[in-house]
Amino acid sequence: MSDAETLDGMSTVEVRTSATAALIPTIRAVASDLAARADFDLDAISDLRMAVDEACATLVDAADPTSVLQCRFLVRPERIRVHAEVEAAKADTVLSTDTFGWRVLQTLADDVEVLHEAGVDGRRATVGIRLDKSAGDVPR
Amino acid sequence: MSDAAPDPFGVGLPLDTQLSRPRPGSVLLAVDGEIDTLTAARLQAGLDEAVEAARADGASVVADLSGVTFLASSGLAVLIGAARRLAELGGRLHLVAASRAVTRPLQVTGADALFDIHDDVAAALATAPFPDVAPPPGEVGR
Repeated sequence: MSDAETLDGMSTVEVRTSATAALIPTIRAVASDLAARADFDLDAISDLRMAVDEACATLVDAADPTSVLQCRFLVRPERIRVHAEVEAAKADTVLSTDTFGWRVLQTLADDVEVLHEAGVDGRRATVGIRLDKSAGDVPR
Repeated sequence: MSDAAPDPFGVGLPLDTQLSRPRPGSVLLAVDGEIDTLTAARLQAGLDEAVEAARADGASVVADLSGVTFLASSGLAVLIGAARRLAELGGRLHLVAASRAVTRPLQVTGADALFDIHDDVAAALATAPFPDVAPPPGEVGR
């Protein structure tokens, strides 16, 4: 995540939790709240909440047990970009995208991408997911 | 701190399931709470019990999801698995789904085609009056 993405003077919210499934309800509640206040339509709010849950659940499965789950919401006119990231359990951890959950995530989000970053200078490798969701129906 | 209280978030949010027989020929599983990766196993246990009860005497299965406020893909997978098992037995899984928290995930994934979906329990019971599950072999044509 570059500073340019966070320090652009627009509405950005970051939530950091232990990378545990038990805290995902808190993160998806934040997603839902932000979408509601950004005037997303009701289906889009529901979709974003579910997409964020899906992304976080996928990452928690791949995370080192001591990792933080970092979830950044970039609230923009008519859309929200979500950038979630954990420290990988292993240096060569790869997110699997041939699961039912991933297919659901692709359906829910307008755009979704897996991000792998190798560990450098003693820092652990990270895995992340970036997803975009617009405020209402967009042509697919 | 070895004597610390258990992590209050350790087991996830509550998910309650309650099995009942509102009328002969119907097994009703009422589900309340949020269905996600942590709680899907409890939904699975409840549905397993409901399918077993239905199989025993050829009843239909109605899962009342009126009290469900979140449904993740892990929960959808459990519902789809139960529908498949019932289909193998010759039946259908009836869902009571009225809120967007349930109807939207079903709709957006196309999973709604796998279930008979009703607005309320009364409607589900009214449209599922006959045994959905074939009686065990040997009891046919008694």
